Parts: sequence; C-alpha cells; structure tokens
Amino acid sequence: MSKPRTYTYFPGCMIPYRLPHFELTAREVLKKFNVELETHSEHSCCPEPTTFTGVDFEAWVTIAARNVAVSESTGNETVALCSGCFHTLAVANHMVQEDEELKKRINKRLKKSGLEITGKHTIKNILHVLHKDIGLDVIKKQVTNPLTSLKIAPHYGCHLVRPLEATHMDHAENPQWMDDVIRTTGAEIAEIEDKMACCGAPIMPSGEDKALTITASRLDQIKASGADAIVVVCPTCYTQLETQQAKVADKFETEYNIPVLYLGELLAFSMGMTDIVTANQRRFHRVKLGALLEKIGGTP
Amino acid sequence: MVKQETMLDLEFRSWLLEQPEGETLLRCYQCGRCTSACPVAEIEPSFNPRLFLQKILIGDKSIAENQLVWNCLTCEQCEVRCPEHVKIPHILILAKVRGLMAGNVPLAALDRARTIISEGRSLSVSSPMLKTRTKMGLPDLGTPSMDQIVAMLADIGIVGKLENVKSVYGDAEDE
Repeated sequence: MSKPRTYTYFPGCMIPYRLPHFELTAREVLKKFNVELETHSEHSCCPEPTTFTGVDFEAWVTIAARNVAVSESTGNETVALCSGCFHTLAVANHMVQEDEELKKRINKRLKKSGLEITGKHTIKNILHVLHKDIGLDVIKKQVTNPLTSLKIAPHYGCHLVRPLEATHMDHAENPQWMDDVIRTTGAEIAEIEDKMACCGAPIMPSGEDKALTITASRLDQIKASGADAIVVVCPTCYTQLETQQAKVADKFETEYNIPVLYLGELLAFSMGMTDIVTANQRRFHRVKLGALLEKIGGTP
Repeated sequence: MVKQETMLDLEFRSWLLEQPEGETLLRCYQCGRCTSACPVAEIEPSFNPRLFLQKILIGDKSIAENQLVWNCLTCEQCEVRCPEHVKIPHILILAKVRGLMAGNVPLAALDRARTIISEGRSLSVSSPMLKTRTKMGLPDLGTPSMDQIVAMLADIGIVGKLENVKSVYGDAEDE
C-alpha cells in the first residue's frame, strides 16, 4: 500500500471527550481510503464559537489563531471533525488573511511561543476530505453493504457551512456535499423543509425554552419527511437532536424516536463495519438503533 | 423611532467600527430582511436584529447590556439573506463583549470561558473520559501549554476580567 495521506486532526473537546464514537468511526472509515489523522498536543479548545466569542472576541481570535499556527507547524492540512472547531479555525484564519493589522497584532502575541500564522493554511471539515479529496467514486468502491432500505435526513447545521468565504463549502442555503456522500451508501435522501434550519443548541445557556422550541420545530420537519434517521456532522447538533430528543418530546407532549447517526457511523454501516457502531451504541445513543439495524440487516 | 431606554454613547459605536469586520455595520440601510430570516425573531418578537442594528447605528449602547443579545443563535441566516453582507451575528458578538463587565453574560458561558482559560478545554477532562478513549483504542491527546496560552493573552487582560466579572443572570435564565 502506498504511503498514507496524513492530515493534522484538530480534536477540540466535545468529540474526543464526550462523543468519541465520532472520532472512532471517522478514523476507521478514513483508514479504508489510506487516510491517517495525526494529533498535536499543543492544540487547545478552538475556542468554541457560540459563547466564548461574546465573552472576549480578541481572546477568541487569538487562541484560534494559535491553534491554526500549531497546525501550520506540522506541514499537513488540518481537518476538524467538529463543526464548531472547524468554523472557529476557518473564520480566524480568514480574518487574519483579510486584516493585516489583526495578523500583525496576533503574530506579536504568538511570537512568545515561537509560532506564526501566515493565513495560507488550509482548514478542512470531513466533507472537504470525503467529497473533494477522496471523491465519491472512490467512496462508492468501499460500499459493500448498500443501505438501499434507508431514507436519511441530512442535517448540516450552521457552523459547518457558514460563512462561505471562510468555510469554502458549496452553498450557504442549499448545500449538497453531505447529500452526495450519503447517496454513495445507497441510501435515499429525505426531503426536509428548511434544509439549513438551526438545531437550537447555541442558546441553551441563555434561553433554554427558546432553544428547545427551535429543536422541536427541527425534529417536526424531519419527522414529516419520513426519514429513518438523521445524519449529522456536528457534535453540538448531535447533542441537541439526539441527547435532548426525549426531553423535547416530553416538553411538547409528542413522540419522535428518530435515530441520529454521525456521518462516520452511516459510512461504517455501508462498509461492513457495523460492529464499531453497535459496540458503543448503549453509551452514546439514547434513541435506540434496533429498528434501523434490523432494516439494514445488522444485529440490533 | 427609538425613544425609551436609549443609552447614547458614540465611543461604543467608534470602538465597534474599529474591530475586525465591525465597519460592515455602516452598510446597513434597515431593510429588515435579517429579522425576517431570523428563527429566534419568529418565536420571540422582541428579538429584532434590524432594531438592534438601528440602535447601534445611532450610537445606542443599551443592546450591550440587554440579555436578549445572548439569544442570537449565531446561525447566520440573517447574514446570508442580508443584501449588504453586514456581519450581523459578529456585530451582536461585539455588543456582548462590551456588556461583559456589566455582567451581561450567561453563567454557563462564563464557566465555560473560565475552564478554557485554566484547562485549555471547554470541559474538564475526567479520568473516565480518558479511560473510554483508551478502551476504544483512541490515542492520548496530551495537554497544551497553558502557561504559554495565558502569557500570550496578557495584553488582552481576559484572565483579570474573568476573575472579576459577575453574571447578572439568575437561575431562571429564560425569564
């Protein structure tokens, strides 16, 4: 086998420590394409873009730029699996590219640790890696267990996609890359109203009632589409749509029972690696996967 | 017309315009598309991005100390729909920053910021979390040099700010 393609993996906090099944399935799926993820111990919290920004923006952009500079020192492109981390690093990198004064100010601070941000580094998310770097045809060749019985609702979430000038995604209102990757598994795409609706999570600390109202509206839209499962990239969306799903159902006196999968888990199913999902399902999935697994011929 | 509860402060506006991407505020001509695109405005009519921009444009800093500003999802639906590409969520972020020392910061946001500055992560990494990673065959991630990170932030003064700020948010944060 040829030398693996290596990315510097930016881990952040949520995925490695709260939802490590994201990292596990991403790593195992990427191995099929000879892609390796290397970490760097100097990477800190990105910092997260929904509350830390409003505490001290200058500190946020400085710590984010430091993380980009640490990545730059590795010589590899960076991939962040978490949408919040990806957004933070991509936005900070873009701001430094656009604003010479900001770049100077930050590099003066970074110099104390022997680091520098040039603004030329490439920050990617999992869709850039799967859709652009690996490619749909190559992915299709690894699909040994086509998921033709499934109808999947892709929930992109906000921070993965916007703002386009920093994320370099395909479209701000009607993105297609996750749809395309899901189709390679043989699954059908569920048509959801308001494709880019927010999960509601960012305002949990400041207005839980409003947040859960937005989450309920999102789950209602997905339920109406007849999807067998929701597929996400973002761990915060996962927490809101999966971990909080029963709470939302109780609050609004309704029922959902819609399984939520990380994109890596869906790909693992399609590539005959169902066991890496089922081994950890009790710990990380509150909505039971039994019916879904039966449908794809796996063991519940 | 904005009549009540205005706090005119041109220094606030000048500061905001000097921040990266802050000057995009001046492109706003109050068309209101932001508000029509906002999922929070849909369920909470007092959350009105167009009005927030209007206030900031005329030099009213009351929004910085208004808890409503923290109801922004940062989803950027407004920015996508804005015909002038005003960085609206970013402008609201800058307003939040100015309201910090007055205590306009949710407790959970403050706790998270303190954890980031002291531990380098947004959560405290526990030994069960590390054990789970090992059990799943995932590599150890190590820990960043916090002394370097804190030293780098010295001229920003965030460490002192986080020590002194008191959140005005009570337990019933949604009220």
